[in-house]
Amino acid sequence: MIVCVAVVGHQNNPLYIQSFTEEDDALKLHHIVHCSLDVVDERVNNPKKSGPTLNETFLGLLYPTENYKVYGYLTNTKVKFILVTTDLDVRDADVRNFFRRFHAAYVDAVSNPFHIPGKKITSKTFSERVSAIVKSFGLSSAG
Amino acid sequence: MANYLAQFQSIKSACDHIVISVEDVSDLWPTVKNAFEERLPFKRAILNNKTRNPVLVDKFPAEFILTTDARLRSRFPQEQLLFWFREPYASIVLVTCEDLDEFKTILKPRLKLIVQNDEREWFIVFVSKAHPNNDQAIKMAKKVYARLEVDFSSKKRERCCKLDIHGPEPNFWEDLEIKIIESIRNTLDKRVQFYEDELRKLSELRFMPIWNFCNFFILKESLAFMFEMAHLHEDALREYDELELCYLETVNMTGKHREFGGVENGDEEAALLNFENKPLTQIVQDDSFREFEFRQYLFACQSKLLFKLNRPFEVAARGYTFVISFSKALTQHENILPFCMREVWIITACLALISGTYSNYNEGLAAPDIEKEFYRLLGDLYSLCRVKFMRLAYIIGYGSDIERSPINSASLSMLPWPKPSVWPSVPPDASSEVLAKEKLILQATPRVKHFCILRKPLPLEPSVLLREANRRRASLSAGNTFEMFDGRSAIDGSGSDAPLRMSSLNKAQTISMSRTNSSPGFDGSIDRPMRLAEIFVASEHALRQTISNPNLWKSLSSVEEFEQKYLELTKGAADNYHRSWWKRHGVVLDGEIAAVFFKHGNFDLAAKSYEKVCALYSGEGWQDLLAEVLPNLAECQKILNDQAGYLSSCVRLLSLDKGLFSIKERQAFQSEVVSIAHSEMEHPVPLDVSSLITFSGNPGPPLVLCDGDPGTLSVTVWSGFPDDITLDSLSLTLAATYNADEGAKALKSSFATVLKPGRNTITVDLPPQKPGSYVLGVLTGQIGQLRFRSHSFSKVGPADSDDFMSYEKPTRPILKVFNPRPLVDLAAATSSPLLINEAQWIGIIVRPIDYSLKSAVLHIDTGPGLTIEESHVIEMESYIEVSQRPGDIANSNSALNDCSLADNKDFERLSLHDGRIQLPDWASNVTSILWIPVSAIDNNLARGSSTVNPQRQSIVDGMRTIALKLEFGVSHNQIFDRTIAVHFTDPFHVSTRVADKCNDGTLLLQVILHSEVKATLNIFDAWLDLQDGFVHTGKGDGRPISGFFPLIVSPTSRAGILFSICLGNTTAEVEDVAVQPESLLNIRYGISGDRTAGAHPPVTAESNGSEGARQDLIFRSTLVLQQPVLDPSLAVGFLPLPSDGLRVGQLINMNWRVERLKEFDQNKDSLCNDEVLYEVNANSDNWMIAGRKRGHVSLPTEQGSLSLLFAYTFHLTEYLVAFCHHKVFHIPHFCGVLIIFFIVTGSRIVISVLCVPLVAGYVRPPQLGLPDIDQANISCNPPGPHLICVLPPALSSSFCIPA
Repeated sequence: MIVCVAVVGHQNNPLYIQSFTEEDDALKLHHIVHCSLDVVDERVNNPKKSGPTLNETFLGLLYPTENYKVYGYLTNTKVKFILVTTDLDVRDADVRNFFRRFHAAYVDAVSNPFHIPGKKITSKTFSERVSAIVKSFGLSSAG
Repeated sequence: MANYLAQFQSIKSACDHIVISVEDVSDLWPTVKNAFEERLPFKRAILNNKTRNPVLVDKFPAEFILTTDARLRSRFPQEQLLFWFREPYASIVLVTCEDLDEFKTILKPRLKLIVQNDEREWFIVFVSKAHPNNDQAIKMAKKVYARLEVDFSSKKRERCCKLDIHGPEPNFWEDLEIKIIESIRNTLDKRVQFYEDELRKLSELRFMPIWNFCNFFILKESLAFMFEMAHLHEDALREYDELELCYLETVNMTGKHREFGGVENGDEEAALLNFENKPLTQIVQDDSFREFEFRQYLFACQSKLLFKLNRPFEVAARGYTFVISFSKALTQHENILPFCMREVWIITACLALISGTYSNYNEGLAAPDIEKEFYRLLGDLYSLCRVKFMRLAYIIGYGSDIERSPINSASLSMLPWPKPSVWPSVPPDASSEVLAKEKLILQATPRVKHFCILRKPLPLEPSVLLREANRRRASLSAGNTFEMFDGRSAIDGSGSDAPLRMSSLNKAQTISMSRTNSSPGFDGSIDRPMRLAEIFVASEHALRQTISNPNLWKSLSSVEEFEQKYLELTKGAADNYHRSWWKRHGVVLDGEIAAVFFKHGNFDLAAKSYEKVCALYSGEGWQDLLAEVLPNLAECQKILNDQAGYLSSCVRLLSLDKGLFSIKERQAFQSEVVSIAHSEMEHPVPLDVSSLITFSGNPGPPLVLCDGDPGTLSVTVWSGFPDDITLDSLSLTLAATYNADEGAKALKSSFATVLKPGRNTITVDLPPQKPGSYVLGVLTGQIGQLRFRSHSFSKVGPADSDDFMSYEKPTRPILKVFNPRPLVDLAAATSSPLLINEAQWIGIIVRPIDYSLKSAVLHIDTGPGLTIEESHVIEMESYIEVSQRPGDIANSNSALNDCSLADNKDFERLSLHDGRIQLPDWASNVTSILWIPVSAIDNNLARGSSTVNPQRQSIVDGMRTIALKLEFGVSHNQIFDRTIAVHFTDPFHVSTRVADKCNDGTLLLQVILHSEVKATLNIFDAWLDLQDGFVHTGKGDGRPISGFFPLIVSPTSRAGILFSICLGNTTAEVEDVAVQPESLLNIRYGISGDRTAGAHPPVTAESNGSEGARQDLIFRSTLVLQQPVLDPSLAVGFLPLPSDGLRVGQLINMNWRVERLKEFDQNKDSLCNDEVLYEVNANSDNWMIAGRKRGHVSLPTEQGSLSLLFAYTFHLTEYLVAFCHHKVFHIPHFCGVLIIFFIVTGSRIVISVLCVPLVAGYVRPPQLGLPDIDQANISCNPPGPHLICVLPPALSSSFCIPA
């Protein structure tokens, strides 16, 4: 289950963070997303490590912990997408696909002329779309 | 083969280096042993690795063992093959022989026997015992050795070397070493080949049922061990890796049920770095090994090699992965493992990895990025360990001491509970412990956050422990009851096991209720659901069983010990993260440390750490997280009495997103700020409230001021305070945009301002500023004792909470002060002259130039000769210049008069007070015209002039000035001075001429009237009051006939009137009056002009009311009529010249006859009665005149009187003095002869001047002029010749004419 998706700006500021847990514990997901920026930074700043995947937007698994997984995605404008999932066996392709759709939704959202770049994304449409993507991710991984 | 396992283990432990066997044929070993062993370990050896690539090994260890040694002798051939790795890698045959025959007969066959076993790598060391002095012996030894070489060395391979015991043999040892290494290398290659072949064979059978992992293991590990002995650790590691792979591949494949292991006492203590933890024989199971022990064993072997390779970071990296994957394996088998075995194992594994790698790690050895990675891994291990430790602590009831922070929640709430097959139950004798725990639970009061912030605590539990534990109890069949129970516990608030926080009292009641409400048929004594305290106690007891490590147990034995260990782990994680790339992890963990410090009253350290955390979160705009930590920091600061920090924390809290705190909490923040501000502050510090109070200029264009104008600046201030806040003072600085050195100027609004939440508009008085454009600088102010400042501009809305990343904002100028420029123009409305001596409107155009003249005051100061008609009001009307109305030009003819007036023009009457006029408001922005009634006084009558001698009146006479001073601007600070010249004039200029003189003496006097004004003049009447000596002809008064009038004179045109007059005396009545020296022309006229164009009808009270009313004006002009000069008074005649012509150089007498014809009447004063001034004018180039050119001659007034004529000739030095009527003429000397004749006969005189012509040709003769006498009075009859002919001089002339 995807528990959280987040958009983090190029200054590492949260632009959009949405948790999908029923409990009122979004803060811990904020923490996870925030800390995962360490990994993103490390990958971006260490070209040696990232190696051939340097030019790839999909950063892959950031955070192999016991209980949840954090995936990252870095757009060309250094906006990061973070995905936290409690599914421990997730197919890479699924995540890639998720991020691709998420990216498209993000691009649509920030193309709104009323959106101020660098500001939080408040669009309801975006959030609905993200929810839909998250839901469909659950379905595809289940099936 | 598995039987050999034990043997294999003992062999492995017995030998850890390569063996070189020494076949001591000639009992030489004792003598050379020391020398040989000194070479060990070999400094360097080049061996081949598994891929047959040479590898350099330093300090290669080996051991020399005699073949007679028991270790080499007692081996069975089968064992030898299996454990081949321990067999000698080289054989050295030590021989000596001093006799060739002996060699041939005894030694050689024996050696042949020894070396016939081709399996071994052997070589012969010949030891020569020959003394250096003993030549014979040396010779023999050489011979024997030569023989030896021939027999045993081949071309391919040298197998012999010679050691001279007594002689220096420097090359021997090198030679020996090379030979030994070569042998070892060959042997190694051979054995590797062997093992590989065997392994290949085995691994092909890997998926067969007959597969036996033990066999594979022994072979594989033998190979690995061999590599390790040869110091080829890299290869050894690879073998172990392959072994692990193979194990994982096959361990669960066969489908056989295998024991996992880990159930023995002490197993929970991770042995992943201790390969000797358990002998392999203990963990062998059938044909394989127990996973639990064996995987740890493999990892221990790998890490041992990695440490040898000096790669502790790799151990850490592999270790972390191993722990994670092993943890999964443990999870799978959790139901057979002791309670919480997994957690304990992970804790110990992490700690072991940390200490193991750290002790093997030398800082600075690895590349910086590897080092960072290493520390990151250590941090990961620490935090993993920390999480598991917290989990254990929670299970035994220390949950209330675990900070419910995001990080703890993130790591614990997603971590499932341990899943033992049966949850441990309370030991029978633990009721007192249960009570104690229960008491603890009840006592635990949730720490109330500062500012009374109420937050739902973050969960530390993945699910309700109570439910989880009870569900896992053995006899849990009546699940419904528990569901009911759980439901109740969920209802009562938290849905978690958080009685510790929210509602411990309620919880306790619930628990007690559940105890009494046991459902029927449910035996409470046995299957009664456990209470939380019981769960804790049961877990504690179970854990005590699990944990064998006394230190670990100690750490869990009490809350204090737990906290100490917790702090140690957290610090370890934080420190290591700080050394790695993962700063955020480090800082967040610092926050956890701070929480512990805070709990123990170590507020100083806590504040420092919290500050770091807050800086991290606020720096990147993670407000939700910041909102969690910032109150803690504030509390620390408050306790530490750090007012500045506390205030700034409060401000930061207030400036966070409004949704993050309730309104009450925000009000609490504000009241803290206000109360501190109004209390006595020890160290008043300026507070930066940039995030809370922002300001901006009003939207729209900036305020524009002209130089010197004050103004009021309206500024929008956004307050982020939840309530109204009173600012005791407020000031704003303005900064000039292009003039940095000017510095900022403060604008003060000194009175107290109350800021409402949200938008406020504040107006500030703006003193006059220098020209330039200004932006808002800093907002400063005071709340009580507290000074604050705000730097942030907001665009239109409130400060955006995530505006932290906005760059230098484009600062919009809020004020523009223009350079000095004309703001207004005052000008006369017309340039054409106005009527003098009449009340006239003078128009002054007041033209504001993009500047408001609101409440402007005009000072009017008229110059001399000009007065304002105070009796009339001043009119003001709007004005539109003609040139600005191009559309109207077409029909301007008809509307000429009002073309300058707008259709809806404003009009107002104003009055003058003390020479000042207040301009009306409507005129503040439009060009208007001010009509001031004035009259210019000129007491002189206009003078006419004659056409003969036209004299125009000087324009200056009619010029008047009016000084205007306009005070305008907001506070009348702008002053505009202007002096306007206004031209006044009479309506006419009169000139006269005598048009004709009739025979009867009637003179027709033409009076020409030049209109001087730009208005139509209607002449209604004109009459002439004549001076003495003139009378009108006829009996009339000399007026033109009435039909002649009205005479209309167009602007600037002329008209003429003829008067018929004649000379004559005035009538007797006139004598009563004073003698009138001048004639007076009277003209009654009317004027129809527009004041906008120039002269116009005079201002009268009713003038504006009735346009039809004719205003008759009288114009008077004096005329000087002169008696007509009918006869010349004097006649001048030029007497004829000699008829024979003139010659150059010839003296000629030029004679003029002046004759008085009649007496002068006029100019009596100016002209002497009987003297006439004469003057002879001649071109000095042509004439040389002898005599006085200018002088007076007497001319008697009476006709016919006689005078004497004197004539003198005199020399140069003499004077001619003429006495004539006792008048003496001084005639200056002249270089020549001067003869002047005055021939006076009566009133006739002849003036003779002696002249010499100088030039031949037709020249103008000298002229006689009488300057004092009017030309009209001179009759030149006959007139003098214009030209006379002068002949060239005669040839015999004695005159010398200068060239």
